[in-house]
Amino acid sequence: MIQVKNLIKDFTLNKKQRKEMGDEFKDTKILRAVDDISFECKPGRIFGLLGPNGAGKTTTLRMIATMLKPSSGTITVSDYDTVNSGQHVRGEIGFMTGQTALYDRLTPTEMVKYIADLHGMERSSFEQRKNHIFDILDMHEFADRRIARLSTGMKQKTSIARTIIHNPQVMVFDEPTSGLDVMTSRAIVDLIKSCKEEGKTVIFSTHRMGEVNQVCDDIAIIFKGKLYFNDTLDQFKSQMTQPTFEEEFIHRVGEA
Amino acid sequence: MRALIIAKKEVIDITRDKRTLIMMVAIPLLMVPVLMGTMMKIVSSQAEKASERQLKMRFVGQEYAPELYQAFANMDKVIMLDQIPVDSIQNYIQEEYLDAAIMVKGDYQNLIDQNGQAGIQILFKGTDSFGTAKDRIQSVLKISEDQIVNKRMDRLKLNPDVVKAYDVQYMDVASRQEKFGKLAGGWLPYIFIIFGFMGAMYPALDLGSGEKERGTLETILSSPASRLDVVMGKFLVIMSAAFLTAFLALGGLVIGIQQISEIPPQVLSVVNDMFTFKTIAMIMTLVLPVSAFFSAMLLGLSIYARSFKEAQSIMAPLNIVIIFPAVMGTLPGIDLNTVTAMIPILNVSLASKDIIAGAMNPLYMAEVYISLFGFAALSILWCVKAFNKESTLFRN
Repeated sequence: MIQVKNLIKDFTLNKKQRKEMGDEFKDTKILRAVDDISFECKPGRIFGLLGPNGAGKTTTLRMIATMLKPSSGTITVSDYDTVNSGQHVRGEIGFMTGQTALYDRLTPTEMVKYIADLHGMERSSFEQRKNHIFDILDMHEFADRRIARLSTGMKQKTSIARTIIHNPQVMVFDEPTSGLDVMTSRAIVDLIKSCKEEGKTVIFSTHRMGEVNQVCDDIAIIFKGKLYFNDTLDQFKSQMTQPTFEEEFIHRVGEA
Repeated sequence: MRALIIAKKEVIDITRDKRTLIMMVAIPLLMVPVLMGTMMKIVSSQAEKASERQLKMRFVGQEYAPELYQAFANMDKVIMLDQIPVDSIQNYIQEEYLDAAIMVKGDYQNLIDQNGQAGIQILFKGTDSFGTAKDRIQSVLKISEDQIVNKRMDRLKLNPDVVKAYDVQYMDVASRQEKFGKLAGGWLPYIFIIFGFMGAMYPALDLGSGEKERGTLETILSSPASRLDVVMGKFLVIMSAAFLTAFLALGGLVIGIQQISEIPPQVLSVVNDMFTFKTIAMIMTLVLPVSAFFSAMLLGLSIYARSFKEAQSIMAPLNIVIIFPAVMGTLPGIDLNTVTAMIPILNVSLASKDIIAGAMNPLYMAEVYISLFGFAALSILWCVKAFNKESTLFRN
């Protein structure tokens, strides 16, 4: 379970950053990336956080994963507060982005073992869990090959394995299919679905409307740091005034 | 504990990186002796060539000073080129066709006979790398002058001591080790400081900005490891790499010295006496905090940078900042005192000089350690702070 209440995140911009961001931000000293948002992600359901680039999706997910601290508001993950019990929160979550984020000079086995060790897994339960994941993802063949020499698909499988090795109850996916081909994207979507089947809490950010329709139970639309919709996918569909998801999304964001 | 897990992984990672291994092991161990050997060979062969070379000289006014002319003509490895026109002498020397010219005037013999001072002009080119021409001419002139003075003393029935009021005897109480240590000891820390810095730089680049660039930093930050675990794990590995590189550079130097045949046996025995286990161990106790200082500073900078490339461009100018105090330590006249003992890097250089010379001041040494460990602790704190700062970790 993830509970986000009145979440705000401000970033202080220095002169150089203001200049880099263009004329619109030349007088902005404090940038509000997330502006008073609240939502809830329930176990066994997939929560989609939708928004264009720069909307505040990654900032929100990074706060959930304790990488960033909220300026105000609270987040609890499995009843642990992200600010006061960061280590417990991190023990509960599996975090995955579109990048494979792997160490090229390690093998998939070493990579997965490293993450398991950081999560304090016992050797025997690690071996069991690793073999189970490697079986499902068909990874045994390349398990001891250096990651640098693996194909994109193999790397993505390794990335999945390291995300779920400690059997997290909460999965955070930050645009996990961004920049991936159809086959690899499918593997990620399948992983998200299987997490739901296992009763895990899943939050994932995306701007691919097709994926939203395919996997989401609940959705929230975020734009310029504010939430413009937060309900079930079915509710969203029933309120649609445009013929497609994409057009409806653009329409709602345009109105904002 | 998690810091050790991170350190273990980083060790596996960097030891599989050929570039880091070459920088950490191969270069210090091989480059120092090879460079030193080559340099010594070139210098000694040039010096030998210069001393073996035949000097081409022109003596102007040989008819006024035949004995002096003869003294020069009798020198070893000399050719007297009497045909060169007087007005071309300067050009010939400038173009290095001629090494030197000795010019005496018509009143030479008169002045010598009347106990006067005969003017002698020596033309030579000061860029002559080993000063061979000037030195050899001076030695002939000295012998000739001594002979003339003795004759004058005889004539005047005076004891030659009349013109020598003092019989000065210099008694140097410094041991050969001390003298050599003070003279050459400064270069030793220069080598291990530079290599220690280089040894820290590559792992710091890889473990800081490299991690950011690969996107793996988020993987680690979302694990139960605390920021302190992450910093300490990485810091331990970088510091070990810096320490190892500095140690290997020192080892390379010791091995290199043994291989250089040009070093006279007396000097070699002094050098061997200097590099005892105790000396090396003491030097390494200085290398440890300085490695910690470099490692924390470079890791902090590396994590601040947006990319590997940016980190490299931030770190490159630091080489000069490091080299400057290291070179200062090699200069004569700069010694360890209450002020220099507090300046990092310079104090390592000066303290190493004293350790090698076997002349340590316990008070200054204590100050050096306090300063080094203090700066190392400050740089670690700064690095931890950098890791805890969102604006540093997520500068993009």
